[in-house]
Amino acid sequence: MHAFDYKSPEVLAEALQQLADSDGSAKPLAGGTDLIDQMRTGRHQPTLVIDIKKVAELNVLECAGDGLHVGAATPCYRICGDDNVQQDYTALADACNIIGGVQIQSRASVGGNLCNSGPAGDSIPAMIALRGICVIAGSAGTREVPVAEFCTGPGQNVLADNELLVEIRFPPRPTASGSHYRRMIPRNEMDIAVVGVGASVTLNEAGTTITDACIGLGAVGPTPLLAARAGECLVGQTVSDATLANAVEAAKEIISPITDMRGTQEYRVHVTGVLVRRVLETAISRATGDPCVVRPGH
Amino acid sequence: MADTKYSWPTREEAQIIGSRRNRLDGMEKSTGAAKYTYDVNLKDQLIARALGSPHAHCTIASIDIKAAEQTPGVVHVEVLRKVGYEIKWQGDLIAVVAAESEAAAAEGVTNVKITYNEMDVFVQDAELELARKAGRTAPAGGKSVTQVEPGDDDDEDEFVEAEIQRLYDASPHKLEGYYGIDAITHCCLEPHGSTVQWKDGKLLAYLSTQNVSGTDEAFATDLDMTSDDVEVRCEYIGGGFGSKFAADYWGVAAARISKETGRPVKFMLSRDQELKNAGNRPSGYLKVRIGADNNGVVQVWDSQHWGTAGVRGGGISQSVIPYVIQPPNYRRKAIGIKTNNGQARAWRAPNHPQACAMTQTAIDDLARVMKKDAFDVFAANLGNVANGKGDVYLAEMKVAAEIIGWKDKYHLHGQGPSKGGVVEGMGLALHMWGGTANSSTCRLVIRSDGSVESSCGTQDLGTGTRTVCAMVLAETFGLDLDDVTVNIGSSKYPMSGASGGSTTVGAVSESHRRAAQDALQILFEKVAGQLSAKPEELVAVNGAIHVAGDKKRMISWKAACSRLGVQSIEVSASHKRGDASPLSNSGVCGVQMAEVAVDTETGVVKIKKFVAVQDQGLVISPKTCESQIYGAVIMGIAAALYEQRISDPATGAFVNAELSDYKLARLGDVGEIIVELYEPESERQRGVIGNGEPPAISPVAAVSNAICNALGVRVPVAPYTPQRVLEALQGRA
Repeated sequence: MHAFDYKSPEVLAEALQQLADSDGSAKPLAGGTDLIDQMRTGRHQPTLVIDIKKVAELNVLECAGDGLHVGAATPCYRICGDDNVQQDYTALADACNIIGGVQIQSRASVGGNLCNSGPAGDSIPAMIALRGICVIAGSAGTREVPVAEFCTGPGQNVLADNELLVEIRFPPRPTASGSHYRRMIPRNEMDIAVVGVGASVTLNEAGTTITDACIGLGAVGPTPLLAARAGECLVGQTVSDATLANAVEAAKEIISPITDMRGTQEYRVHVTGVLVRRVLETAISRATGDPCVVRPGH
Repeated sequence: MADTKYSWPTREEAQIIGSRRNRLDGMEKSTGAAKYTYDVNLKDQLIARALGSPHAHCTIASIDIKAAEQTPGVVHVEVLRKVGYEIKWQGDLIAVVAAESEAAAAEGVTNVKITYNEMDVFVQDAELELARKAGRTAPAGGKSVTQVEPGDDDDEDEFVEAEIQRLYDASPHKLEGYYGIDAITHCCLEPHGSTVQWKDGKLLAYLSTQNVSGTDEAFATDLDMTSDDVEVRCEYIGGGFGSKFAADYWGVAAARISKETGRPVKFMLSRDQELKNAGNRPSGYLKVRIGADNNGVVQVWDSQHWGTAGVRGGGISQSVIPYVIQPPNYRRKAIGIKTNNGQARAWRAPNHPQACAMTQTAIDDLARVMKKDAFDVFAANLGNVANGKGDVYLAEMKVAAEIIGWKDKYHLHGQGPSKGGVVEGMGLALHMWGGTANSSTCRLVIRSDGSVESSCGTQDLGTGTRTVCAMVLAETFGLDLDDVTVNIGSSKYPMSGASGGSTTVGAVSESHRRAAQDALQILFEKVAGQLSAKPEELVAVNGAIHVAGDKKRMISWKAACSRLGVQSIEVSASHKRGDASPLSNSGVCGVQMAEVAVDTETGVVKIKKFVAVQDQGLVISPKTCESQIYGAVIMGIAAALYEQRISDPATGAFVNAELSDYKLARLGDVGEIIVELYEPESERQRGVIGNGEPPAISPVAAVSNAICNALGVRVPVAPYTPQRVLEALQGRA
């Protein structure tokens, strides 16, 4: 690994100033589970590493009337261990619970996962499904971008060199809503997703009709995707196999997976369909109050 | 001194042997205190990094190291390959840069400028016709055996062809099958490498090796010195599995740089260099037709297989086909394919795992087409096992079946229930291995203070060798493990064979037991008079020496040793590989059974339960013995489900040469593993036999058969990835 400078600001303004002063040669470090490895392999060679873990705003984990606030540097173990997240933002808990092992979860953050902008980032489809909003700070002030629009390509996103992701904010959850994230990996744990699917579903009072749905997809395109039409086609529909099948087909229409050593395009398209259906089934079950974690199947 | 009659204590007599003792170095390893080669850092050492070829097949057109030499921090650049040299696989090391820091060495490597003339590549080892068209195939032997022999006037080939066909046509049950197993690569968690120090005409090499006694010569030859001036040390090693028997050209290069610069040099391969250069396990693909009688006993086997061991061709030896179950009539033919991949090295039971995966899957398929219980079909064929140990296999099959619940859970292939698209299945496989004790010498000292210290140029691969040595000594002297000191891991100790081929436990238990019995005999002679007994009437038990059957005529171990005065007992005893001995033996069986669940929608296979029943003669240390088997099963499951060297057919690049993409099994992937040591008195009396290899043989076949049992169709080629499972279900495999 190359030699670099290291700073650990404790105030957001200080971190932003250091970023601005670095003229694009700095990299923020949260858990470092991606960045350190990428520096080791030479993919990134920042001259300055700004450790943002001591900045208070970036470590919040609060659930209030305006929804859930997750600081960009908040580690996964805190998120998946939080009662509010488990209860109301379950897809996010699902995702944080399967990112690496315990050691990695103790370091890795969903903010880092998002800023790494890998197509297969596990937390991103879950955050898309939960309609997360990225709060971004920079020299010019603060702006907000939906998680679904944050990533612009493999390893690329909307952040300017002088900007920092501060937090991801999630809207309050309606009653009778449930969510789930699931991925397909060849192994049982600690592996990169071949396909990842997050979904959020809200039902009517009777629990028979879908009133809202949002689906995020991972590893099936150059960026994580919002499967907008797949979600929309569920709205107003009764819960049935046919309804879910329509969403499956709509989700498949927008994906453009590649063939690589982890799987062929054909395989990924097929598995996307399987996972969309299974994730929706689980999200719907949770919306009805069934705390089920796993539907049949791997 | 009378000749010692070497023997092991009976099961009833044994106090240490066969008891469940923790490994001596367990705490050091689990706390990080153990010093592996990678942990060795010497004062003023240089760090070396290497440049590997980006191309799989090319010649070197030019080499320019000026910029590398001028890189800040770089001290020395060693060119390993000359202009014009033909590179035959991606990653072959071309130059080594030694520098003051890892970063400087890495930067120096990027400043080595090399131009190449690229050449055609071939890496599609599964595709026999493509290999033929590319001129990459070569015959790799074969053999035909028929019960009816050709007449004097018969053309042998024509006769065999007609006889095999006649037998096949006459068989009431026939099967044609295709089975394969992709090449996997060595990926020792501690990569190959060394830290070496040239000083005053002598070389000290901390080498990550399975062979401390056999690698000094390579250093000595290259550096024009005698092996007496070389010491190779290896206290702990992070994996070898057959790939770390040699000093290797990178190790010798480090020594040259140390001699040239006068400074210690640390040179460990990077992860991708480890996977590309440090050896692999050959691939194998087999087409077969078999004919069986109404009981499922295979009467005729006719196969052709191909594969690659890398740039020199080769593949799976024809000698192990068909595997374990050897029908009375068979014809086998092998074809080797030269590919632009690194050359294979020994890999835990060379040839056997692939042979097992390519042939015992066919036996299971026979059960499938006959709609019979696979257990019954395997059992029916035990009259034709290659090692003649059908009775042992049957006993072990029954033990394994009982543990895994075969009778209760087994269903005919593809006949099990589906729950949410998940189906379950069971499979079994048989294996065999030699395990002859290697040559080994032990030097043993008993001092007047009662201390016992042994020295032996063996090494502990993490498998418990150190513990086994101590248990043998402690047992012999009636002491506890803490009372003996075992020195291993240096070429300065008496020679012991390389740790490979399941030869180590036999080797060290031979030499240590012999030395201990010899030394004890001398001590008995010293104290016999005091106890008014003959030396042969004495025994050493529980920290004392007493007359057998009369514990009152006793002297404590320390008191006995105090009689030695300034004259320690020092003995040296050896065992020579191949010599008949009452202490060790060779030839083991083994049965493994797998229970899997397969998601028919995603193709994901999960191991539910895995049972390994293994014989290995007399078990010195049950805990470390079981540990060997756990490790072997986990490795085997990785090969069954995940491990696969993936090469780009266009460039020959090894595209998954990192552990993020080269999949190994995690503990969450291996299910419940149950190990059963099969050690009835008939096996125990045979003496010690190594078990490092055998339990690594069957897992792929057992898992394949379980998947086939679940699905009702065969996934032909390992690893059985989700995509391959779905392709098989869709009839596209």
